[in-house]
Amino acid sequence: MALPALLLAAAVATWGVDARTEGALVEDHRAPVITITVEFPVGSWSSWARKTHATDGFEFADTDPGRTLKKRADGLAAELSLDVGDRASSLTIRCLKDDLAAAVGLAKDVLTNAEYDVHALKRAGRERSILWRGNKTDVSFLMAQATARALFAPADPRRLPYERFEKVATDPKEIAAARDVLVRLPGRIVAFAGDLTLAEAKRAADGLLPAVGEAPPGVAPALSPISPPASRASRKDVPIRNLTQVYLSYGRDSLPWNDPKRPGFLVADHVLAGHFYSRLYVALRHEGGDTYGAGTTERGDVVPGSYAATTFTRADNAAAIEAKLAAAMTVFRERGITEDERTAAVAYLRGSRALSRQSAGQLLARYLSERRLGLPAGFLDDQIEQAAKVPLSDINAFIREFYDPAQFSMLRAVPQ
Amino acid sequence: MIAGLVLAAVVQTTLANGLEVTIVPDPSMPVVATQVWYHVGSANETKDARGLAHLFEHLMFGATSSSPSGEYGKFVTSVGGEENAYTSPDETIYVSEVPPEAAERIVRLEADRMRNLVLDDASLDKEKKIVTEELRLRTENDPMSRLLVRAQRALLDDHPYAYDPSGSKADVARATVDRCRRFYDAYYHPNNAHLVVVGPVDATREMAAIEETFGKLPRGGETPGDVPPLDSWTFPKDLELKDDIPPVEVALVGAPLPPAGAADAAAVEVLISVLAGGSVDPLHESVVEKRRKAVEAGIETLSLRRGGGIIFYSASLPYRRKATAMRELDRAIGELDRMDWLTEASLASGKRRLAMDDARSQVYAADRAEEIGQARWWEGDSRLAFTRAARIESVTKDQVAAAWKTYVRDARKIRVYIKPERVPAYIRMFGWLYPLFS
Repeated sequence: MALPALLLAAAVATWGVDARTEGALVEDHRAPVITITVEFPVGSWSSWARKTHATDGFEFADTDPGRTLKKRADGLAAELSLDVGDRASSLTIRCLKDDLAAAVGLAKDVLTNAEYDVHALKRAGRERSILWRGNKTDVSFLMAQATARALFAPADPRRLPYERFEKVATDPKEIAAARDVLVRLPGRIVAFAGDLTLAEAKRAADGLLPAVGEAPPGVAPALSPISPPASRASRKDVPIRNLTQVYLSYGRDSLPWNDPKRPGFLVADHVLAGHFYSRLYVALRHEGGDTYGAGTTERGDVVPGSYAATTFTRADNAAAIEAKLAAAMTVFRERGITEDERTAAVAYLRGSRALSRQSAGQLLARYLSERRLGLPAGFLDDQIEQAAKVPLSDINAFIREFYDPAQFSMLRAVPQ
Repeated sequence: MIAGLVLAAVVQTTLANGLEVTIVPDPSMPVVATQVWYHVGSANETKDARGLAHLFEHLMFGATSSSPSGEYGKFVTSVGGEENAYTSPDETIYVSEVPPEAAERIVRLEADRMRNLVLDDASLDKEKKIVTEELRLRTENDPMSRLLVRAQRALLDDHPYAYDPSGSKADVARATVDRCRRFYDAYYHPNNAHLVVVGPVDATREMAAIEETFGKLPRGGETPGDVPPLDSWTFPKDLELKDDIPPVEVALVGAPLPPAGAADAAAVEVLISVLAGGSVDPLHESVVEKRRKAVEAGIETLSLRRGGGIIFYSASLPYRRKATAMRELDRAIGELDRMDWLTEASLASGKRRLAMDDARSQVYAADRAEEIGQARWWEGDSRLAFTRAARIESVTKDQVAAAWKTYVRDARKIRVYIKPERVPAYIRMFGWLYPLFS
């Protein structure tokens, strides 16, 4: 399905801010708003960042004792956020166009702030502890935790979000020094989306960051191989207090996004669970009203994570819905999909791209995702075109291989 | 580069059968958002119809006299679009976002299900099971939702907002085809709805499709009963709740806010933006940063068509007595009464924050449609969605101060205290040491 010409023209313009820092811009002059994103290629997966507490230094860089940095953001009516992801850390400021220069100045000061509020750091540590206790009744968290523990070795950083949170470092000098190394790492990007021109973006990017440095050892994440299916329990129950439902997750390791079979997977997954009349929705919700929700979840990208068919029902109906889920998965694997389903899936995948192209911010976010994962620009859109070319026979052969029950385990959250 | 565009003429009209229509053609958008706002929500349910507004949100995706069950959803998926529906206390909204070529068909499908829905025992029984599972998921198995539903009932007593918009399991069990048909025939009519279309459409063609489909439907049904405004309701002074939440005790002091269409609504909006819209919250500053009497504190707001609430809260480790936590909160609210937080600079920032929110929503078809639908139903005129920026800009410091005086200083406050069911022994014994180390 054709996209409006305006959006096709909204390409990402890139330039070199310095030899090892990229600049990027998606122009959109429909509203006087600008988003500035400065991203650094180190996140929570890096053992160096965890050991030195560089990620704490980054995450709390706007917490000075008098909260002057946050007050400056409030004065501009700007939204300032500092996020530490698994592979990258980013600062984002959204502001009105008139405030671009002031917002850039604020970003610069946040990234070089050495006056941390020690009380705020201590409080953040306590909040992490309270949040950790709150997870004990969170079904999604506990299911994800059990999945991560089954798939990843104990030291693998992909388990980190589901294990007891590390303490927040409280020595301002230590975390400021580590943060200073983080923001000088090569491979960083200064990106803009919204109501500014390329010349304005280049001017704004110049001098925003300190000079680039060298990456210390241990910056790159060390991931372990996925635990083989034979080493995982084929069934596991997670008891949770006060539950009146049973939650099922029939899962395995996910297919990396750059795997050559990924385009066929996109079609298969859409037919299995990608819409309100997908195989799982029909079998588990529409036919008998056993559940409110059914679908698949994927937590992975270019490196494998988890993939699972999920659903839930009242506790006394657990065995019945599990049998229906198993039957639906068996039919899906043994009979594959039809040509009509393949055609409809391709139409959906192509049409749905328009929803993620409504704003410059969405276009830039996609560019940053691809860049972060080491994928060429446009890779994710191209996957959809590749998916359209995969013949039905290849998709069904893939389904037989990927949905092999020997690769899957059944995880259930059950009443304690 | 996406160029700035001058919007083509907005169409705002009311058909002969009473359907209100707003079309905003915007060729810069890649998708068309279509929303049908039925002006009936859970607050309009009579006692024997509780839970039906939400149940209808489900039933409306069933068969009509001319199309099989699921036709709407299957069509939207086939073009890569998205569809959904929401039930609130004030309205039920059916929403879709599709590529422009599919927009006309959406109008036909929406018109069809407005009056031609097939209601039978088989489809109702199945949806009742599905909705019951939804209630178990959203409320029964989530401690915070359980608390909210209980607080809502206890605080609002027999006010129409007292009931969970999703209904209860007992409500769902009581639903029959006859009751559902009565509800449908009462409220699902063109004269109780507002159709909003935003995106790259040809307004003339879109309007012709609307006339040809919705235009043929007869006027009918009844007007839902009005909902008393929250700012004149009598609330209990005090409430204490307990549930399986993380080990913190939460103290809340709240006061009701006026209906969305009140004369001083813009001043209240700016008040909230100045007070609670930024990253430095004055209550947090006082309770947490300055006096270190809680691990977290802040200001939150709720908004519904017939009023809202402003809530001042603090969260402490569970060793502090309720009276002490409430006293600290009162002291902090008393400090806010000195109005140090309201200056010409903070007023300007609060307005800019609202201007930025407004500007950002301009590029998303669904956000724009929602603003228009809400302006019509909550404030009485869809045109107010297009003049919001000017109304916000005209608010003065004195008007914000007056709103504070009316809705906070002089308001009768409601106090809620929430305790965790389980507290680890070490926190119970040594929690009092926390301020010494924070």
